[in-house]
Amino acid sequence: MSATTADSSHASDTLPGGHGHDSHSHGKKGILHYLWNTDHKVIAMQFLFSSIIYLVIGGSMAIAMRWQLAFPGHPIPILGHLLPPSVVGDDGALLPGGFNMLVTMHGTILVFFVAMPVLIGVFGNFLIPLKIGAGDMAFPALNELSYWLFSLSGFIMLASFFVPGGAPGTGWTAYAPLSSNDVYNNHTSFGQTLWCISLFVNGLSSLTGAVNYITTVITMRAPGMTMFRMPLPVWAIFITAILLIFAIPVLSAAAALIIFDLNFGTSFYRPAGGGQPILWQHLFWFFGHPEVYILVLPAMGFVSEILAVFSRKPVFGYKAMVYAMGIIGFLGFIVWGHHMYVSGMSLTLSALFGVSTMVIAVPSAIKTFNWMGTIWRGSIHYTVPMAFAVAFVSMFVIGGLSGIFMASTPVDLFVHHTYFIVAHFHYVIFGAIVFSVFAAIYFWFPKMSGRMWNPTLGWIHFWATFVFFNMTFFPMHNLGLAGMMRRISDPTVYDCLKQVQPLNVVCTIGAMGLGLATLPFLVNMFWSMFNGPKAPANPWHSTTLEWTLDYPIQHGNFPVTPTVYHGPYEYSVPGMEKDYLPQNEKAPAHITLEAH
Amino acid sequence: MIHAMIPVIKKSSFFAGRFFSRLATGIIFLILVVPAMAEERIGNIYGLPPCVTVSGEKVDFIFRIIFWLTGAVFVITQSTYIVYLIKYRRRPGVKAHYSHGNNKLEVIWTTLPTIIFLALAIYSNRVWDDIHREAPANSLVIDVSSYQYGWQMRYPGVSGKLSPCDVRQISPQNPFGTDAADPRTAQDVISSELVIPVGRPVHVLLHSRDVIHAFYVPEFRLYQDCVPGRTIGWVWFQAIRTGDFQLACSQLCGTGHFNMKAPIHVVTEAEFDKWLSTRQQKNAAAAASSSKLPTPKIP
Repeated sequence: MSATTADSSHASDTLPGGHGHDSHSHGKKGILHYLWNTDHKVIAMQFLFSSIIYLVIGGSMAIAMRWQLAFPGHPIPILGHLLPPSVVGDDGALLPGGFNMLVTMHGTILVFFVAMPVLIGVFGNFLIPLKIGAGDMAFPALNELSYWLFSLSGFIMLASFFVPGGAPGTGWTAYAPLSSNDVYNNHTSFGQTLWCISLFVNGLSSLTGAVNYITTVITMRAPGMTMFRMPLPVWAIFITAILLIFAIPVLSAAAALIIFDLNFGTSFYRPAGGGQPILWQHLFWFFGHPEVYILVLPAMGFVSEILAVFSRKPVFGYKAMVYAMGIIGFLGFIVWGHHMYVSGMSLTLSALFGVSTMVIAVPSAIKTFNWMGTIWRGSIHYTVPMAFAVAFVSMFVIGGLSGIFMASTPVDLFVHHTYFIVAHFHYVIFGAIVFSVFAAIYFWFPKMSGRMWNPTLGWIHFWATFVFFNMTFFPMHNLGLAGMMRRISDPTVYDCLKQVQPLNVVCTIGAMGLGLATLPFLVNMFWSMFNGPKAPANPWHSTTLEWTLDYPIQHGNFPVTPTVYHGPYEYSVPGMEKDYLPQNEKAPAHITLEAH
Repeated sequence: MIHAMIPVIKKSSFFAGRFFSRLATGIIFLILVVPAMAEERIGNIYGLPPCVTVSGEKVDFIFRIIFWLTGAVFVITQSTYIVYLIKYRRRPGVKAHYSHGNNKLEVIWTTLPTIIFLALAIYSNRVWDDIHREAPANSLVIDVSSYQYGWQMRYPGVSGKLSPCDVRQISPQNPFGTDAADPRTAQDVISSELVIPVGRPVHVLLHSRDVIHAFYVPEFRLYQDCVPGRTIGWVWFQAIRTGDFQLACSQLCGTGHFNMKAPIHVVTEAEFDKWLSTRQQKNAAAAASSSKLPTPKIP
């Protein structure tokens, strides 16, 4: 193993990712420097700022929907005037069709234009080369192409609001034949077609990224950086990239079939022409379920590392963590049918998927216990990134446990497509994934921008987010159990839901608070980036390779390729004066490190 | 119908905690104090809506098992977690314990959840099979047809048998896909409301005329997609009490989705027979007065 890694790291100097092309990237001046730049660190920043813009757009949509659900038919203050005319009426109140468009675009934007680029585009790009001791990605130009494909797909997606008929109103799941036949959507197909094209282009972006990550991790590790010495975020993104390679093409193909059905008269999903509507669901969820793990695995990776750093302890069960992620990645491909227990799929298949779904809860449980093991007997430093990481574990536990209800086939008969599932996946996607992203941004931004953040604003952001997040999403469990369907724009039309309307108001107030809670974060980010105190090279006393470099990190990263001597999380090693042992430092002769 | 509700109370109180005791109290209150209002939801926002089907009680039973199981896991793990977070906060002079893990613990916390989750999956699937066994022979068969944005129910006419549906024939001119030459077609009773007798199994044949809709009744603990081009024939249920409910579409189906609902009336066997035979007679009279077979009328 060590021989191969040594060879490949030598190769990295001559690969395009090495120092070889410094001249042409650094020669550019001004804005062009940031528009086309093959340095993985700059690409990470491009992804970061783009996805923050999409976060604001997609989050505002959520608040508009929440307003409508709490106060149906009332004009939305402020936001009502900003939304496109296809969505709101003249008085600024949401139209029923407009609500469906927001349902669709909120889901699509948050999944494809916020969560994926932030987790994979930002941190995959920024962390992989720095953490494995490489000069850049294996294919730097492909990397920048990945960003521009992503941007292009975003423009196409947003453009759908302004075509005749507006954005698609079929949900981010776009179930056929509603999505695949324009007669069911007032004879308009532009929005849905753009949606499909956008996801196709977005898929290309993800694939080019994934190819890059896999190649980089396999071939460009520094000498001594064996696979089992890689930090967990690298492992997580590596496994995620493999999932992307298998999952994304299925979505792209399925979306292409919708384009054919919509515009060229084919009948892949149209029963009248011999097609099968459920085919779309199988294809979509074959992508869609691994997608959940594509999002949550990197989040788990970041949190594992941050918990270890601030507990000043090695990650508990490092190998168990890696194996659990691998098992999640594999099982993630055989549980898609749990979205379809009651879709009209064979009942026997539902039962089978019920078993695989219960089994996939096991590796998640393993990880939770290992996180608790990591903080056990630690010396916990409470910083803002640590607070988000700590909250991640609890929110993930809630989201995981509520998932067991849906996993049980009979209970799904009751809670399927209600707000219970909305609560469940928001606990996973916001409570776990977004919390981990916040933790990761607070943790690594000193390395990205060379500045420290204002902790007071950070703490305000944390507590406001934590409180308002739970206020928004916890009551949704109750709403779901009361029978409130998801994706309805006015719950008060149902007699049985009238009495739970106060809960909808609570959720909406929470959502508005959650939106405002993001302001201190944005202020902190943009103010500290220029005015914060200068960050030392290793502000958190961390052990991994990125902290050995001073800001600004030159193009090519490491002046001298580092050599790695041990695993990534050697904290509080007995007999050592300082409580951390960087990966590129040999342990003193009198100390033996515990195997991990 | 009151006696039919008693099993609900027994189960509720057996598993009662704070969460369900309110529900149980609400149900008892409704049965004993305001039976006339029994069809309305109890005025609390914490519990489940009343359950009015036999299979729904099975769903509720397993729901409660999972509720208490996950509740216990949540309380145990989170209280341990919070204790750790406080106990192991940074203190001067105390160094963290150096440990890379413990394989014995890993084996324990892998095996234990595996056993629990597999047991849960096996038990769930037994209930799933039980709920989905063949509809009893004495079931009342109703064709439930969904469209953008509404519902139509088709009941058997005087012959006691539904005119068979061929999903390939479903069209705007023939919304139920029936054969006009079949004498039963003219006899079929079409209703915009789902009226069902209490205590008798009801077998619904789910159809869609356009996109995917969903047959969802929270009080029945029942969700099933209606897929165009297919008959979903495995859904049946048996109501255990009378009342008025609402059938909801719970699958995004277009602009009017949010308001795609239909009333459900669970009535006594006698009331149901009276309702259906009145409709049947009306149809028979209309058929007799008309020389040619009328197409089913939308009420």
